[in-house]
Amino acid sequence: MAFNYDKYLRVNKMPTLWCWGCGDGVILKAFIRAIDKLGIDKDDLCVVSGIGCSGRFSSYIDANTIHTTHGRTIAFATGVKLANPDKTVVCVAGDGDALAIGGNHTIHGCRRNIDITLILIQNFIYGLTNSQTSPTTPRGMWTVSQKVGNIDPTFDGCKLAEAAGASFVARENVTAPKKLEKVIREAIAHKGFSYVEALSNCHINLGRKNKMQSAMENLDWIDEITVPKKKWDALSEEEKMNKLPTGILKKDEEALEYCDAYQMVKDAHQGKRGKITQDDFAKKI
Amino acid sequence: MSVMEAPENTPVWTDEDRCKACDLCVSVCPAGVLAMRYEPHSVLGAMITVSHPESCIGCNECELACPDFAIFVADKKEFKFAKLTDQAKQRQQEIVSNNYMILEA
Repeated sequence: MAFNYDKYLRVNKMPTLWCWGCGDGVILKAFIRAIDKLGIDKDDLCVVSGIGCSGRFSSYIDANTIHTTHGRTIAFATGVKLANPDKTVVCVAGDGDALAIGGNHTIHGCRRNIDITLILIQNFIYGLTNSQTSPTTPRGMWTVSQKVGNIDPTFDGCKLAEAAGASFVARENVTAPKKLEKVIREAIAHKGFSYVEALSNCHINLGRKNKMQSAMENLDWIDEITVPKKKWDALSEEEKMNKLPTGILKKDEEALEYCDAYQMVKDAHQGKRGKITQDDFAKKI
Repeated sequence: MSVMEAPENTPVWTDEDRCKACDLCVSVCPAGVLAMRYEPHSVLGAMITVSHPESCIGCNECELACPDFAIFVADKKEFKFAKLTDQAKQRQQEIVSNNYMILEA
């Protein structure tokens, strides 16, 4: 008996609308295995996705799903989580979705440290709308909006999330599906904002114009630019240039979670406690 | 709904309605079990074939790498998998250099 993915899928929507070899499918599979291992009931899971190829996630998973407006996944998910603090809420967004259009929501989600898992599918391009430059497109690559080569500096999403205050930050790539599954599992189990960046391939809209014709070539390139965290720590500054560390980059279990903080507000309004003062918080500034 | 129970004496089986012929499973197989055959009715003109099931070592790599939920590997308790041989490794290299297409007999 093979692992039964169909239990978690809307089978009538198969085959997926993604291009052949798209990394989104591998991430979807890793996510399904993760929720299966954690034993989360489909009724207790809410998947929120935005616009882009990653937006199809909510169509394929047979759970409570919302397909929201562009970049607003975390805004919607925050509402869902505050109303249902005991449910698992997972956001899925692309790099253009969560770092460009929804960049503001991402940093404020991280800042509040609300118990949401953000799976950010990073394919270095706006794939759905045919290769426009995204905030993560490497310099010098061809895109339709910068046809002589991209000149924009890139974002490091993990550093952004760490600085903004997310309590769990990890990066993994789709060539290591088992590690990806483990990271997603830990991210969902972690209480607090979990940021998981999954490096994925878009050989159709990024690769074809940048000498990576097939999924395999694009994945080889991703393998080339990533270094596991342990090796990364031993590298010199020069060697770290043009490489990205993978693995769990930050894990802070002490930080105050937003739903717990919000409970104080509820209690104060219901007269169960007095007003909230500075003394209620260990970290004030 | 795909078949989850292994057909009798089968280590690895596929769902051809879902396969988009992306070659990923063929590229990750260490033992040359999988290959692509010509299929004029498929969008990319190819379709997955389990060409050498007897060599399957049950490593599950193809199932993990498939983005389209189209390939399944039997459980280690259900099927006795083969050991990785030099001949199988050689065949895998040949399949990859043959552009992931099935080798002519």
